[in-house]
Amino acid sequence: MVSRGRLLVCDREAAAAGVAGGQNLSTALGLLPGLVVFERNEAAEVDALYRLACWAGQFTPTVSLAPPQALFLEIGGCLRLFGGVDAIVDAVRAGCAAQAYAAAWAVAPTPLAALWLARAGGGVVCGEAAALSAALGRLPCAVADWPAASLARLDAFGLRRLGDLRAVPAGGLRRRIGNGPVDDLARAWGELPDPRPAFAFPESFGLAIELPARVEHAEALAFAGQRLFAALAGWLHGRQLLLRACSLHLTHDDASLSRLPLRFAEPAADEGRFARLLREHLGRLQLRAPVEALRLVADEVVDRPGESAALFAGAVAGEGAAACLERLQARFGPQAVAVLAEQADYRPECATRRRRLDENSAPSAASTASVVAARPLWLLPQPQALVERCGSPHWQGPLQLLSGAERLESGWWDEGDAGAAGDLRRDYFVARNPQGQRAWVFRDAVGWYLHGLFA
Amino acid sequence: MSAVPLPTALAEVLARGDVWRGDTLASLPDSTLPSGHAELDAELPGGGWPRGNLTEILVDRSGVGEMSLLLPALARLSSAGDRLALVAPPWLPYAPAWAAAGLALERIVVVHPGREVAWCCEQLLASGGFAGVLAWLEAGIDPRALRRLQMAAEGRPVFACLWRSTAAERTPSPAPLRLVLTSRDDGLSVRILKRRGRPAARPLDLFLPRPGRLPRALAGPSPSLVVARSTAVTANA
Repeated sequence: MVSRGRLLVCDREAAAAGVAGGQNLSTALGLLPGLVVFERNEAAEVDALYRLACWAGQFTPTVSLAPPQALFLEIGGCLRLFGGVDAIVDAVRAGCAAQAYAAAWAVAPTPLAALWLARAGGGVVCGEAAALSAALGRLPCAVADWPAASLARLDAFGLRRLGDLRAVPAGGLRRRIGNGPVDDLARAWGELPDPRPAFAFPESFGLAIELPARVEHAEALAFAGQRLFAALAGWLHGRQLLLRACSLHLTHDDASLSRLPLRFAEPAADEGRFARLLREHLGRLQLRAPVEALRLVADEVVDRPGESAALFAGAVAGEGAAACLERLQARFGPQAVAVLAEQADYRPECATRRRRLDENSAPSAASTASVVAARPLWLLPQPQALVERCGSPHWQGPLQLLSGAERLESGWWDEGDAGAAGDLRRDYFVARNPQGQRAWVFRDAVGWYLHGLFA
Repeated sequence: MSAVPLPTALAEVLARGDVWRGDTLASLPDSTLPSGHAELDAELPGGGWPRGNLTEILVDRSGVGEMSLLLPALARLSSAGDRLALVAPPWLPYAPAWAAAGLALERIVVVHPGREVAWCCEQLLASGGFAGVLAWLEAGIDPRALRRLQMAAEGRPVFACLWRSTAAERTPSPAPLRLVLTSRDDGLSVRILKRRGRPAARPLDLFLPRPGRLPRALAGPSPSLVVARSTAVTANA
């Protein structure tokens, strides 16, 4: 990563070749000719920080930004929920790692102390004042954002660590290096209040991410999409909302836009579920041009209803029915998954309705006439014509009729409609063949038909 | 003397909504599901259809009562508020008949996954959201796919039933329970091909309520009656 001709950071391989931050670009290229260089993009960094702030909404409602690099999460109020400092730190680190961000972190009672500890390498949890004081005391003065002149003076005094500064009288220090640094010290030690402006979760969610390279295969969008969905999940949590529908806008390299709508069978706020659904959709998506940027917009959100957790009921392992069906639907198409429903029609073809998953499950108009006659569990998609020998229908042998005729007639109202059953006049029988199979057969003006199976 | 007022006080306390009783613990899901047929329950390990294990039902001809065999168990699941999934059924379910059998239609999901039946089943079993998954597998399914299904079902309170043809009888299967169904007179003959524990000695004859009058009622003049009836129909039509 390069800014104004100077190297800022490099990866491990480059460091092994002797490349280090602060070098001239030409020096670095001399050390490692194959070095891949990216210009620093500060706007993109700010965007990334904003996305991370949204994402952090799932850990705590009180997030504050400290641009350009730092994010404060107030976790004091959430420790019980997560089960301790270690658990919440692990969750945050795992979340960062899943989005491929390398984070330096520290936990401390004051925001400034946490910031300084994180800058000095991080990985420290200071719960108590004594531990904090010891940890802060060991830090070099350079971790603080103080003017270079102040730092140089401190260095000239021989005060190299923050602990040394605390040991000298504050009044004298104040006269020599100004009020700012001394107040900062007091804030870090918790002697002065240090209010931070809270990050306001936006009213509506719409975040964009620019891809580092043009992407030609839809699957490759999953990673960038995952960062957006992580931010979305945090935003939903922060605003206590559930998502019903969202859409992913793809900006192609010819500046055209395409839109990938995602709908959920039930409102959800689970990042893993978003990611799985996204992967299914991307697996089926054909890109018509390479993609340069992604934008995720939450189209439909609902308030999250309050829920109380069960005291003892063991949680069922697994994603649950709705999430699973949603994925199957994304993979096999909307027609492949349906819920059974009844329709008030006595014509057998019309009595069953396939209800879509996200259709409102209002009590359907169940048939008002209670069926007294036998009805089969299975219907054939199309009635199958049966041969008739010696006056009785045959289906793998002669059929023996076990019931009297049940006349189902009429249906003039949708006659002529495409795909409708139309007007029919049939006598239905329960029949049995020599193999013991029970069938639902009918005869009409044309002949005998097999229509159902009493399974 | 002092023991007498205690039960009333206790009853009052227990009647309060915010008092939780230790014996109303969320019961662990049973490992078996009563089949609704006492003779069959006596033969099945654990006294019912297994949950968390595959059950294979081998049947060649449908319409012999194979679904009626499962209906009491499915109705029990459905009335408990659980969901059922039918994966790739070869025919269309006729909703009024399923409703009449005591199943809640809004909790029956029909999935047509094309050629990926086994994968789809695995997802449904692993999701933990279904108490019953009935799947009609393609004929030449790979034993490894069956093993994966068994792994997906293990440890979950799901009744997983696979329908296969009797051609699969000779091929080994990881399913711990395998039954062969054949029609027998007015009932169903159930042969337990494989089960945990000692092997089953003889096939079991089950009587299932079937539609239509019993052929026995037509025993004496049966052929003539049917002929008469069908001729009468012919005359009507």
